[in-house]
Amino acid sequence: MNPALRPGERFPDIELPDHAGNVRRLSELVGGDPAFVNFFRGYWCPKEQAFFRVLSAFQSEVEVAYARIVSISVDPPEVNAAFRAGLGARWTFLSDSERRYLDELGLRETTDTLNHPYWPASFTLAPDLTIQSTFNGYWFWGRPTMEELRQDFRAITRELRTDWEVPAP
Amino acid sequence: MSWMWFAVAQDAEAHDAHAAAAARCLDGTPAGVLAVWLAEHRPKMPAVKVDARIVQRDGDQALVSFVLAPPGVRLPFDDTAVQQARRDVIAGRPPRALSTLLRGDSIFAGAITVDPVGDDPFARIFPARRLIVGAGLFGPVPAHPGPDIERHGSGGPWPYPTFDTAPGQPLVGT
Repeated sequence: MNPALRPGERFPDIELPDHAGNVRRLSELVGGDPAFVNFFRGYWCPKEQAFFRVLSAFQSEVEVAYARIVSISVDPPEVNAAFRAGLGARWTFLSDSERRYLDELGLRETTDTLNHPYWPASFTLAPDLTIQSTFNGYWFWGRPTMEELRQDFRAITRELRTDWEVPAP
Repeated sequence: MSWMWFAVAQDAEAHDAHAAAAARCLDGTPAGVLAVWLAEHRPKMPAVKVDARIVQRDGDQALVSFVLAPPGVRLPFDDTAVQQARRDVIAGRPPRALSTLLRGDSIFAGAITVDPVGDDPFARIFPARRLIVGAGLFGPVPAHPGPDIERHGSGGPWPYPTFDTAPGQPLVGT
């Protein structure tokens, strides 16, 4: 993993088109909430399909708990839009079809000389984009479990919310 | 400014509005004047809350899907029908702009979808009309990042964050 992307470092505030083709900045998408940002190879990868099915089920927790998900691939916006629709995903997908950040982030999957995708790195982030955890999903079992995401979201939220302890009447 | 007052008015009633534009049905029938007022200037006529971000006085003419609760119907904003419509909006291709309409702090009063893409999920809850709204009222807003379906109805119309706080301050509430 790129040493600039270790826990405690600030994740770059990248800017890419979303699944509808509108340019979005990561910090805008994260807003004031904890976030899970995952890079994925592409819609065609069976491992990604398996992981995204689990993540799609997890979104019913994320959506009620002030947290965000952002997914990034080299697929163009219209392909990401179709993949997202097929999954029933309700979070933002970003497209780096020009491979603008592949090398800058050090996340190019050099072993795939056909698609030149991102390798499946993922990150949990605090609202200021400080990295809480990194996950190396090059091998499938390196991806985060939903329980690990829950634990990270809990830790970030506990730091973030001054009313984590129930306010006194 | 997180929200404004919204009402369908007659010409004379909209003279003191922050922004207003004439609306017509797709067959050309006049549909009144859609008008908004700043939160601190509540109009005398019955009005509901709208997300201020969709109000842009330099906005172009727009096709609008306008959903409005029938008189006397009071549906809580956290009703599962409203929640599912919100999910469907986020799951689909984003419209140019969207705001739900809020009566008081917790009653779903309808929705305004600017340049809708396909069906309007809110039209499954209450009747919808397609209107052509003149320039000077609605403009584009970045799509809601999702996923969220947090508890709402504490004062602000979705998708604007309900629990308003100063910039940089944590939200209060769960």
